[in-house]
Amino acid sequence: MKKRGKGIGSIFYGTGYGNGFPDVSNAIAELLPDGKVAIYVGATEVGQGAKTILSQIAAEVLGIPLQQILFVCEDTATTPDAGTAAASRQTYNTGNAIKIASENLREEIYRLAVEHLKINSKVGLKMADGKVYLNSFPSLAVTFKEIADTFSKQNKRKTLRVEGSFTALTTKMDEETGQGAPYWPYTFSVYGVEVEVDTETGLVEITKAVCAQDVGRAINPKLVEGQIDGGFAMGVGYTIFEDLGLQKGEMKNRRFSNYLIPTALDIPELEKIIIESPEETAPYGAKGIGEPVMIGVAPAILNAIYDAVGVRMTEIPVTPEKLLKAINKAEE
Amino acid sequence: MEINKTFQETEVEAVLSLLDQYQDNSKIIAGGTDIIIQLHQGRVNPEVLIDISNLNEIKEIKQIEGRILIGSATTFTSLMKSQVIPKNLWGLIEAASQVGSPQIRNAATIGGNICNGSPAADIVPPLLALNSQLVIANKMTERKVPLETFFIDKGKVDLKNNELLSYIEFENIKENQGLGFTKLGLRKALAISRISVAVFLEMKDGCFNEIRIATGSCGKFAIREKEVEDFMRNKQVTDELIEAGANLYSNIILKRLAGRHGSDYKSEAIKGIFKDGLGKATHLAKKGGV
Repeated sequence: MKKRGKGIGSIFYGTGYGNGFPDVSNAIAELLPDGKVAIYVGATEVGQGAKTILSQIAAEVLGIPLQQILFVCEDTATTPDAGTAAASRQTYNTGNAIKIASENLREEIYRLAVEHLKINSKVGLKMADGKVYLNSFPSLAVTFKEIADTFSKQNKRKTLRVEGSFTALTTKMDEETGQGAPYWPYTFSVYGVEVEVDTETGLVEITKAVCAQDVGRAINPKLVEGQIDGGFAMGVGYTIFEDLGLQKGEMKNRRFSNYLIPTALDIPELEKIIIESPEETAPYGAKGIGEPVMIGVAPAILNAIYDAVGVRMTEIPVTPEKLLKAINKAEE
Repeated sequence: MEINKTFQETEVEAVLSLLDQYQDNSKIIAGGTDIIIQLHQGRVNPEVLIDISNLNEIKEIKQIEGRILIGSATTFTSLMKSQVIPKNLWGLIEAASQVGSPQIRNAATIGGNICNGSPAADIVPPLLALNSQLVIANKMTERKVPLETFFIDKGKVDLKNNELLSYIEFENIKENQGLGFTKLGLRKALAISRISVAVFLEMKDGCFNEIRIATGSCGKFAIREKEVEDFMRNKQVTDELIEAGANLYSNIILKRLAGRHGSDYKSEAIKGIFKDGLGKATHLAKKGGV
């Protein structure tokens, strides 16, 4: 017989290394001779979209189109350390470092624009489309390229380079009481799933799912949705498929023919709700969601299984074998 | 040993001559979805590969005098799309559609699935339930063997090194008959079957006038379940009968797999899989609809 059930799983997640561990990102912003801006950062792109959103942050600060950003990462010879692509920290930590480096560059460009335009203050200056102009008299303007040229002539052909660094707030917890402020910021997420359990075979099918994800601010909503889709699929695999088959320390399932990950057909349509509640200390309010989008999937599915067949599963993955055994035991 | 020659023929005769010439040193390749892996792993080491995927003669499905003939080099995709297969043989189509993924089904062949001798071969249980015969040819002659006796051991079949499986044939289905198939795979695509069951039925006056059942993935090779068949044949269809049949089936599987990994699960799950396959066959047989 097939039985249906619904379940939710809600989580909160502390971004970054936490618990007093130094969590630092560094970035360099450079005005190139052609007026484009280079960002050098040790952040790693692992498919999560870091390159895209980190470039967007720099472009936003400097008022230039994304195409005017030359983004250099993953090269330890040319980039400063920005920590690992882990702990869902790149958007927040490295995003902040890039924002600071870009803001520092903006200040330098303004300073040089004041000289170039022969005015006495940067008040009223604006940046857009690779130009600095006086807001009340826009024809009084200088391009990034002209500023780069001038700087290069005055500084023995050097380029204008500035740094930015961001250190996250993290304090060690009290070992006795477990109290303290180990992380900042926190991210919140809730999954709701519907399952259909075949009580004769123990097979679980996820028929419908929804995720509401707090992101602070979605710098790139499509990438946020992609992260949620990916995290959900991984969560489904984690909960009902991926079984190493450990027996006395030996992995029995070490091929993808028996270590099963979900296929596209195993993943139902996922409704995604992006919750925007900008975080004050984050770059444009944005927080990372890499791990948060996976964590709530398992509890939601386990709750839905309980709702469907009244069995509390306390070990994952819930393979058909384990579930059928538990169902039959509960019936006895 | 390394492969030093490959042949791609367009005539069955030519393949049979090559097989006769190279015998043990040769291997047939059709879709290649199994043998390529075996070659990579060094599990087979032929000197000569003979590609049969261009033998148009054995790539078709035909109906001749009340029998259906499936060429061994027919791909799963062509079987799924075939106009020759009547609606109440749906179990055959369902089994084909659950093989691997679209890419695999486009290349892999019915003959390959049989000759590879895997206990989990998806197409074998439905063909067993249909009482299929295999047409096997060599350069000199041709023989017919029941599919049921073709399997000798896991990965071992009754096919000599100079022989080619050319056709699989069975009696075409009638209006009051139906073929159902249910597979338990652990995911929806690219799943090796944990259990599969095919049920062939002929209904008459509310009775199972004829019933043939075959199980996959529960032993060294797929087999017919004659004890369950005998129990259910010529009996009025009732929920009690089906329940009793499922329990008998479960006991048989438990005994057969005794002591083997997963025997508890398989003997339990077989009940649901059997009832599902039986339900599909009953529905098709009642509907007729050739």
